[in-house]
Amino acid sequence: MILSIVGIAIIGGLIGLDRTAVGQFMISQPIVAGPMMGWVLGDMTAGLIIGATLELIWILDVPVGTFVPADSTISAVSATSIAALGNPGGAPLSVIGMCLLLTTAMTLATMKADGLIRQWNSRIVEGVEGVQGQQIRMRLTRAHLSGLVVFFLKSSVLYLIFVPTGIAALKIFHYMPENVHRAMSLFVKFLPLLGVALMVRRLSIKIIDLFMLSGFVTAAVMGQMFHAPASVVVLLTLAVGWFGARYREQG
Amino acid sequence: MSKDNKEIGTIDLLRVFARGLLIQASWSFERMQSLGFAYAIEPVLRKLYPVQAEYESRLKLHMGYFNTQPYLASFILGAVVRLEQDRALGIKTDADVQGLKSSLMAPLGALGDSFFWGSFKPLVAVTAAALVMTGSWWAPLLFLVLYNIGHLGLRVSVLFRGYETGGDAVDLMARYRFTSWARLFKVTSLAVLGGLLGMMPLWRTEFRNEGAMPGIIEALAGMMIVLVLVEILRRGGSPVKVMLGLAAVCLVLAYGGVI
Repeated sequence: MILSIVGIAIIGGLIGLDRTAVGQFMISQPIVAGPMMGWVLGDMTAGLIIGATLELIWILDVPVGTFVPADSTISAVSATSIAALGNPGGAPLSVIGMCLLLTTAMTLATMKADGLIRQWNSRIVEGVEGVQGQQIRMRLTRAHLSGLVVFFLKSSVLYLIFVPTGIAALKIFHYMPENVHRAMSLFVKFLPLLGVALMVRRLSIKIIDLFMLSGFVTAAVMGQMFHAPASVVVLLTLAVGWFGARYREQG
Repeated sequence: MSKDNKEIGTIDLLRVFARGLLIQASWSFERMQSLGFAYAIEPVLRKLYPVQAEYESRLKLHMGYFNTQPYLASFILGAVVRLEQDRALGIKTDADVQGLKSSLMAPLGALGDSFFWGSFKPLVAVTAAALVMTGSWWAPLLFLVLYNIGHLGLRVSVLFRGYETGGDAVDLMARYRFTSWARLFKVTSLAVLGGLLGMMPLWRTEFRNEGAMPGIIEALAGMMIVLVLVEILRRGGSPVKVMLGLAAVCLVLAYGGVI
């Protein structure tokens, strides 16, 4: 267990670099990081559900200017790790719900930690400015790349705190009454709806958007009446939105 | 110094591109991407300014405050490489270089945030999420491939465009049409979100309520819940507060014997 947690801290720390410091290739997005960690720990299903749910919830919480959004990577990796390590052999839906609920407690801590790291990094800049002569190139490179270590350590330390604490919380959860487990199973089913609501809230000024309705009708008709495969239905809704928008632009 | 030594080739630009991937490695509140910008452009400065004192002063100049959207920073990097090259040849001045950086970073920051974070990423992510919710385990891979083809392609392309045009923002806007693509992606995302709700009865087996209610009623119930949640969010609910509220509602329903 201890080795697994250390492994999570290392892998999670490396994944977290993608979030700000390296490239932004989106490996750190919950929809990728969750399933990846689930696959590593042997519970891909938990990773997929946690990843997709947190992706929908946090996708439009974006870093603009000095605003540092909640670290959804840490939430996804921690929740998946807690679910997989706390329930070897596959976490039931109630456990996945509990793990997702635990991420609400992590949000504020990740934002605070990110703020502290970025304050610390200001010292790095000041350290290079005073350097003169041949040393400057090496000092600039060393100082700049030391930021990678700082970002890595931030994530790793948080995993070393969150994952064992979460596993302990999950042990308590296992002793809770059946009603609490049923509530958590239902909670998971509500969360993708919350994710959709958050996206609609940010993407549209209307509560009932025409394009959302057209996607809804297309999916309901094609999926439920004509029993088209789900991936085909997703493609059809994409096409409806795409061509509808182009038609509106031209009109 | 001969003019030949001040030639900037594709390899030089690709080196700047590769270093530009780390532009936020030491991101700070005070100077933001300042060290990252200097780090990315350093190999070009070394090539253009062989005299140590001049190289040092140029490098320090680029350690000043800088912040923009990290992908579109490539355009500014390309443009600054061009202007530094012209400056080394005596065509441009310090003011031109500094003026370009400070005039482009804020508008490109806003443009990049709106396009990449606000429309392109949500569209690819919501499509992948819809596929995951309906049982496709490979959707995260599709997300990574689609997103990075678009993102890396644009990032390389705008770097070279920035170099070729010397930072012509009007050309950038006309060529890439970021704002109209952003509108298209946002609207398409909304259609996929609607589709995700319309497919509720086809969601992963873990989410299904087999036989509890007809499929279309389940989808309509999902839509109603979303509309209520949108209204709550419009009245100032944060994601965390609403999550906690939903957990409380679920507990009430469980203890009330409804589920």
